[in-house]
Amino acid sequence: MPEFSLTEEQSSLRDLARKFAKTEMMPKVAECDRTARFPDEVYRKAFDLGLLNLNIPTEYGGGGLGVLDQCIIVEELAHACGGMTTTINANCLAMEPLLLGATPEQLRRILSPFCGSYHLAAFCLTEPGGGTDVSGMKTHARRDGEHYVIDGEKCFITNGPHADLYTVFATVDPERRHRGITAFSVPKGTPGVLPGKDEDKMGHRASSTSTVRFEGVRVPVDDRIGAEGEGFSLAMRTLDHTRTPIGALATGIAQAALDYAADYALKRQSFGKPIGEHQAIQMKLAGMAQQVHASRLLVWRAAWEIDHGRVATLESAIAKTFASDAAMRVADEAIQIFGGYGYMRDYPVEKLLRDAKLTQIYEGSNEILRTVIARELLKGYA
Amino acid sequence: MEIAVLVKPVPEAETRLRVAASGTTMDPDGIKWVLAGYDESAVEQALLLKESIPGSRVRVLSFGPAPRTEEVLRASIALGCDRATWIEQPADARTDPIGTARAIAAVLTAAPPDLVLAGKHAGDDEAGLVGPALGELLGVPSFGGVTDLRWDAARSRFTFLHAVEGGTESVEAMLHLVVGLQQAWNDPRTAKLPNILKSRKAPIEKIAWATVAPHVGDGTGAPVPAKFRLPTPRTGAKMIEYKTPDEAAVALVRLLKEEAKVFP
Repeated sequence: MPEFSLTEEQSSLRDLARKFAKTEMMPKVAECDRTARFPDEVYRKAFDLGLLNLNIPTEYGGGGLGVLDQCIIVEELAHACGGMTTTINANCLAMEPLLLGATPEQLRRILSPFCGSYHLAAFCLTEPGGGTDVSGMKTHARRDGEHYVIDGEKCFITNGPHADLYTVFATVDPERRHRGITAFSVPKGTPGVLPGKDEDKMGHRASSTSTVRFEGVRVPVDDRIGAEGEGFSLAMRTLDHTRTPIGALATGIAQAALDYAADYALKRQSFGKPIGEHQAIQMKLAGMAQQVHASRLLVWRAAWEIDHGRVATLESAIAKTFASDAAMRVADEAIQIFGGYGYMRDYPVEKLLRDAKLTQIYEGSNEILRTVIARELLKGYA
Repeated sequence: MEIAVLVKPVPEAETRLRVAASGTTMDPDGIKWVLAGYDESAVEQALLLKESIPGSRVRVLSFGPAPRTEEVLRASIALGCDRATWIEQPADARTDPIGTARAIAAVLTAAPPDLVLAGKHAGDDEAGLVGPALGELLGVPSFGGVTDLRWDAARSRFTFLHAVEGGTESVEAMLHLVVGLQQAWNDPRTAKLPNILKSRKAPIEKIAWATVAPHVGDGTGAPVPAKFRLPTPRTGAKMIEYKTPDEAAVALVRLLKEEAKVFP
């Protein structure tokens, strides 16, 4: 039989994340959302407590956690703020290609100082001309002796203006399509690395997103991650691991929407009784709870598969698409239950809808992921 | 300095308590037991002293049943305590705060610490008896309601503030005493993730019930709770009708004077 209870260790991790969310994140959530402020002090405190770099092995100074443990933490953080969680979680995304493809020497040289003090990282894959169509990548890496010279532009880069380390995907030969894509680790301050201005976003406003231009950026061959042409595989395998925590992030948003809505339904009176006693509201709350529970189970299942060393392309795609779609529906219903108040920015639920929306788009749009699901599914019937 | 700190698992403040079917206790089902309140402040105080006095060590002790007692000990290790001792209480062993103090005294007598810290009382029963009783059993002074405890190394003295009826006294004391601490005055730290993971694998010294039972007694003298009930929900809230804040303030002051009679 499957085991659904958390271990004492996992409960302790959840308690830590819950406490951090409540005491460090919550007091700043509304302000950062309103003003689009990047709360560096929150992210620093997250580092101090070990909540950044969860997926990096302890020997390099990371948390050394499996994907299920990460998901438990990410859900709790996202319950307070999806945007702050996106920033905190972006280090895991940017470092995963190194964990999959770097040599032990590179891991020691790059990860140990990175994890040794507060640093942020950025995963640079998407370009203005395409996100889903990775093989059409324009950013070019030209070999020049013991260096590569990178030219191109990336966009929608989380932590773009704040990153100390960029994981960059570029093609050594556009003709080779996805077989030309190669990964590099590029430190901030390398001449020609040019982050753009902060984007003004619909949600996740406590996170920072920008373009990053690369103009004649010289990267030593030693900082290439994996072989030439291995970048596409590294990126795809990375996303197989990291999109499950995005499902957890969406689940956290949905759980928050349910919690706010249920609490409000017990307090708000209409026709002489709490609206939670009206069946119209009960039907909504029941549906929301179903979505939240199903999301969490799918996320945990996908995480379990990954932690047991299995390829979880299908499970992670199902978990991410379902949980992100569920977050949208649940946040939408929460606003409806709040009525006019739900539409007001003084109340917390409209932010949840804006934050939920991104989870349908990033780390693999739900459309491409559905084609992935279908492809993986049909393999079992062919 | 050898510092002992006493902790006790208590229900998390946000736990929704229910009455057990017996009607004489709270229903343990669904309660989340945590290191909290006064005990958190005691652990924080122990760690602050350890950090300010080179060569100090902190031993955390708890007397209680599985599994919650082990959990608060591990939480204390994650915060920075050096070693943990669990005096195991069988689920059916009856005792009272004096029995608890006797069990702890039996263990501490074997290796007397320089200082014993505790919360001034536990966050659940608020008896506040274990610290003073332990002072008596160990033959050392005890103080409750303490804040701002410091060690003056040059003069080998503790200094601290002690809440007394109607005020606060500044106290100096020599080594060997039991101190019960106020809650939350020292902003207890949060355990870091790597330390939480390490604390899961840390050894915990277990003292079997049979070892301390002769000191504790058979518990026949312990009080037996006759009835347990939750506070009745408060009623009688009065909403003030107003158009402007000034009007609301005037109405509120009038009600406080004339109805609540909190002002003359």
